[in-house]
Amino acid sequence: MTSPRRAAYAVTIVGAGIVGLFTAYQLARAGAGPILVVDRGFLSGGASGRNGGGVRQQWDTRATVRLARESVAAYRRFGREFGYNIWFRQSGYLFLAETPAELARLTTVSQLVRSEGLDARILDPEGVARRVDGIAPGAVVGGAYLGSDGTLYPFPAIWGVYEAARALGVEVLLGVDATGVTSKDGHVAGLVTSAGPVATPRVVNAAGGWSGEFARRAGVEVPNVATRHEILALEPMRPFLDPMVVRVSDGLYFSQTMRGEIVGGLTMHHPPGTTGGMSTSPEFLPRMARTLTALVPRLGGLNVLRAWSGFYDDTPDGFPVIGEDPRLPGFVHAHGFGGHGFMLAPAASRRVADAVLRTPSDLDPEQFGPQRFFGPRAPAAVERLQLG
Amino acid sequence: MTADSEMVEPAGPRFSFEGRPREARPGDSVLDVLLRDGLPNLQRSPHYHRPRAPLCGLGQCTNCLVRVNGRPNVRACRYEPAEGDRVETENGWPSRRFDALAGFDLLFPSGLDTLHGFRRPAWATRFYQFVVRRLTGFGAPPSSESAARLRAPPEVRSVDVLILGAGRAGRACAARLVAAGGSPLVIDRARSLEPVSGAELLTRTTVSFLPPRPADGARPFEVLAYTEPARGLLLRAQRVVVAVGSYDASLLFGSNDRPGVMTADGALAMAPRGGPPPFRAAIVFGAGDRAAEVVRRLEAQVSALVAPGVVPPELVRVCSDAGVEIYPRSLLVRAHGRSRVRSVELVARGSGTVSRVACDAVVLAHRRVPNVPVLFQVGTRMRWHGDPGAYFPEVDPAGRTSVPGLWAVGSVAGARGAASPLSGDRAARSLLGALPAGPVDASRPEAGPGEFEGYYRELLRRPRPGRWVACPCEDILLKELEAVTAGGYRGVEVAKRYSGLGTGLCQGRYCLPDALLVLALHEGRAPSEVGYSTQRPPVHPTPLAALAALEPQMAPSEER
Repeated sequence: MTSPRRAAYAVTIVGAGIVGLFTAYQLARAGAGPILVVDRGFLSGGASGRNGGGVRQQWDTRATVRLARESVAAYRRFGREFGYNIWFRQSGYLFLAETPAELARLTTVSQLVRSEGLDARILDPEGVARRVDGIAPGAVVGGAYLGSDGTLYPFPAIWGVYEAARALGVEVLLGVDATGVTSKDGHVAGLVTSAGPVATPRVVNAAGGWSGEFARRAGVEVPNVATRHEILALEPMRPFLDPMVVRVSDGLYFSQTMRGEIVGGLTMHHPPGTTGGMSTSPEFLPRMARTLTALVPRLGGLNVLRAWSGFYDDTPDGFPVIGEDPRLPGFVHAHGFGGHGFMLAPAASRRVADAVLRTPSDLDPEQFGPQRFFGPRAPAAVERLQLG
Repeated sequence: MTADSEMVEPAGPRFSFEGRPREARPGDSVLDVLLRDGLPNLQRSPHYHRPRAPLCGLGQCTNCLVRVNGRPNVRACRYEPAEGDRVETENGWPSRRFDALAGFDLLFPSGLDTLHGFRRPAWATRFYQFVVRRLTGFGAPPSSESAARLRAPPEVRSVDVLILGAGRAGRACAARLVAAGGSPLVIDRARSLEPVSGAELLTRTTVSFLPPRPADGARPFEVLAYTEPARGLLLRAQRVVVAVGSYDASLLFGSNDRPGVMTADGALAMAPRGGPPPFRAAIVFGAGDRAAEVVRRLEAQVSALVAPGVVPPELVRVCSDAGVEIYPRSLLVRAHGRSRVRSVELVARGSGTVSRVACDAVVLAHRRVPNVPVLFQVGTRMRWHGDPGAYFPEVDPAGRTSVPGLWAVGSVAGARGAASPLSGDRAARSLLGALPAGPVDASRPEAGPGEFEGYYRELLRRPRPGRWVACPCEDILLKELEAVTAGGYRGVEVAKRYSGLGTGLCQGRYCLPDALLVLALHEGRAPSEVGYSTQRPPVHPTPLAALAALEPQMAPSEER
């Protein structure tokens, strides 16, 4: 087994997904000193390699809209900065409403997004039908659309950030499990791994679906819940669908990738936790097929090529957990993205780096920090647009 | 068709192909009809728009997709036309014979680098996306009318024993169960088969998803399947016997995707009813039983045998009887010809002598690999075998796998020749309770470098003329696969995500067997350590319409 090259690191990061790698990259650029990233799986084996590649800026709260907008700008630059083409295609995100109440909710979102300077629009059923060729008549009462949202190809983004971080001296150990954290005088002192212990004053928890489990191992529990979400890909076709389509009522989403495959999923309500593994359930394929063909009947003539699943890392209020833990100084949270880690990683990782370096951040700690879960107050806001 | 044959052949359905009227005989597939005019270049490859002709004849490869009545990606080798059907080709612009997009093949002889290329200048991003998006994909999306026609009521069955595959092993198993008063259900992908006496046989029926069974074994296997064109099946089975056989693997060499390069399965399937195959002078690559079978059955159309190693005396005799020239211990380096193979270039192993052999087809009969996706999917414990270089299920002498209630018999479990029906029979006796569970059969050697590890070690040290296609479905080149290891990445899972290999319509069947060997060579470790990419459902591409019809039939899951 590979083992760490050094006995001590300035920062150790648990999880080599997009959030962990971006954080390592930001810290290395800031000259934070020796950095170690460990991951018990293979590169792209977790949610970073299992998502639908959606990147959207339509959110319920101003704070999330701003993080997303910054991430969109970063992904636009990605190819020139990291050397890999992620095929970021800004062809829109379209939320579908089936009832006037849902449309009213989307209208509120759309207005907030507009007030942040983005060209969010509400579409009538005809406008929706123009963008989703073949949608069943009468299926929707309208939708919310933002043309600068889009999709990207997740894998090259991982390779790009991985290689850039390594070029800056970051050490990444794959197939190595982080089993616990040691402390001295109430402050983080080391990380214990399956490849041996290392001394470190900072541990970043970027373990995605397993971050709740790792936080528990470190003795700083968070209320995150891992939920299994399933997804499938249909055979590649010539382009006929531009936007990522998301239905508000059941979380159905689908888009057509650069390769021409329709990739989509829907919320399945599996029991929480990671113990069931990342397999496809017998119920998913028929339910997804029925749901998708009811909305766009012509898709019934396409073949399913493969189905897979991954874990969302959900928090009670829908916001990620970003910040140092007051219960264990030196332990930094970078998780709870609820299936949206990929789209928020470029911006969120800068704030994680701020927390590691203890430099001021523009994130409200009462909204994003772990203290919101064990403080006396109820959460300040709730991000409810956890869809797609 | 001559007046003579019209008298003996009953008239079949008339359909149109590319706007021209064609007539099928009863039981003909679209491909059978087209083969009367020779091997058709039906398809253009998805990235470089290179001409492609059928490879496998089994409904596994991507090379015979056509559009039928507005439904895309129907396999011509599997589809029996109905009266009035409209069959069109899909992937050429303006036509499949003259495809302007094939210019990309000529303009970029070393391939398009979509991972690193197309990044600059920033203002051109939308243009790149527009062009590249139009280069990919197979055909246009289905018409609403074609999708509406696929509505068939689903079928739900509960059976004691389900047998996947009606080959020799599956039949033997079914026959023994029937003799003991059982009533197994047998399903098979073939279009027509001899009945299995006393057992129910569903043809044109494919398993889509064999999910792992709940650990307690309290519930039966819930097998999702479908009957072509799109009837969904839910088969609840207490026990499942996997007898899905094996198939001939592809081979890496220069321009290995040229029309005329086909597997032995393909060559035999395209010579139906004892008729001639779609070639006149083929070279057969291989030196085992399968190569001998091809030479024997198609001797009038085989001109040479190219063997990766020494040729056994028995095969030498078969070849000399048939007047087939032998090139022993040879590397197949490249095929020449554009719309059809015209010749191949060989290099003698050891001496390095180069020879060029004229031919109009290359029949790959060198390596038969088990059809294992369904076994990986259900979670069977698998074991690597150096020869032929493939994973097989671990089974006890009666064919029991590591999954309770699941048996694997016949060539998918490594049984060859006469051992195949015997393995089916033994499984039936254990299903009947006559054979107790035994230890895992360790008679087959597990490791040891296989023949093709050595072959590829020698081949890949040489220059690489022509285009080496590692994944024919997605047009992925060998160099794109090798870039994975060169970039510092290891293991087949990352290789799949880095290169896209194995994500096409054949579900990895025609790329993984070679890719595992190539990755092992470059990573400097055994193929078994490179791993195997997770075999995701479905086992074969399955129409959304068939799956949708099953939804109301599914038992409520353990949901919140």
